[in-house]
Amino acid sequence: MQELVLNQPVSTARSELVREAAQADARREFEERLAECGPLAFRLARGVLRNTADAEDVAQEALLRAYKSFDRLRDHNKFRGWLVRISFRLALDRLRSAKRREQRDTLWAKPEHLPPPATAEDVAASNQFQAHLDRALEELPEKLRLVLLLSAMDGYTIEEIASMISVPLGTVKSRIFVARKKLAEKLRCYANNIKTR
Amino acid sequence: MLCEQYKDALIEVAAAGAAPQGELRAHLEGCASCRSAFAQEQSLFATIDSSLHASANSEVPSSLLPRVRVALNEAAASRLRLLHPVVLASAGVALAFAFFLIARPRHTSPENVAKQVPSIVRVPITQTESTNSQNISAESTEIAAVRVTHSHAARNSTNLHSVASSNPEVLVPPDEREGLARLVAVLNERSEVAAAFVVKAPQKDAVVTADPLQIPDIEIKPLEGTETETSDRASERN
Repeated sequence: MQELVLNQPVSTARSELVREAAQADARREFEERLAECGPLAFRLARGVLRNTADAEDVAQEALLRAYKSFDRLRDHNKFRGWLVRISFRLALDRLRSAKRREQRDTLWAKPEHLPPPATAEDVAASNQFQAHLDRALEELPEKLRLVLLLSAMDGYTIEEIASMISVPLGTVKSRIFVARKKLAEKLRCYANNIKTR
Repeated sequence: MLCEQYKDALIEVAAAGAAPQGELRAHLEGCASCRSAFAQEQSLFATIDSSLHASANSEVPSSLLPRVRVALNEAAASRLRLLHPVVLASAGVALAFAFFLIARPRHTSPENVAKQVPSIVRVPITQTESTNSQNISAESTEIAAVRVTHSHAARNSTNLHSVASSNPEVLVPPDEREGLARLVAVLNERSEVAAAFVVKAPQKDAVVTADPLQIPDIEIKPLEGTETETSDRASERN
């Protein structure tokens, strides 16, 4: 009994060492994934928020959350998909809160301070088209938006996207198709209409 | 009207990024207007794709990864800060407990002994036992300390020669040692049997006291029959 009690501090110290070693391993493994997955988190957030500073904040927050829960992730090969979901969710939350803030500000703003309605020349301009595209993207359902953003990124095949978000390959393809069609419907009025006889 | 029915098909083909096939292809070859519409639709999708590509592959700020590493370090440090007092406190409690166990008094009180499983079997060496085994001298009798506990460590212990032990001692002649060992084994296995051994026995040395008999004073009275008999005899003499 006495022997057991006297051994306790030693075993505590040993378990502490083991725990620290495990933490160091987890940190090293996370660092290895950081270089690859950091840009992915940023670009996804940037695709949703369309603002570099906000996207950087969201990416940092997503990576930090992922690091804190990294030891709870059973299959570390699913880290990329896991991080994608965290980043996308955080970006959407931030976008919603930004919208609420914007609506609050708009209520108090004077009508003459609002931007003038777009003219045909403005629409023709590429930056205006980008603005319309952003708005159309924002109106897409979340599932379609996520798949479309991932498919637009360099370096990820449709198979990889399917594995990343854990949906069948056919579902990814159909989501991309539907998303592009919806975008085209919204943006067609800003481009030349299809001339029909 | 004829081109209207191809409109959806044209959009579908343009959205899929495929080339028109079959009837649609034949119609496009003969209809300049639909060819133009199809080209515009393809252009629209190309613009959408290029805009999406530009937006989705924007340059990652060089400050992102260093920022994340700093945040990770801070998170790890704060985790350690939270963990440190817990580790220190638990180590302190463990040390205090160890100190208490080492420094606690060895002898248990009689009440505690009685509450525990029977632990003492004292076999006094009587003169008859000595005479039965003549060759056993007082020196040859060994002192055995036997303690019945439930711990495996004590159960496995064969420490029969611990003279310096603080446990109660049992003096056992060598020829009875094996029997005692068996008894101890039984006691270890069956605590209810052991419990029967610790039922308090009446003390032999206790002085038996009895209250003195209370005898009331004797009152002497003359018998009534005797008195009448003597008076009868006196009258007969007369």
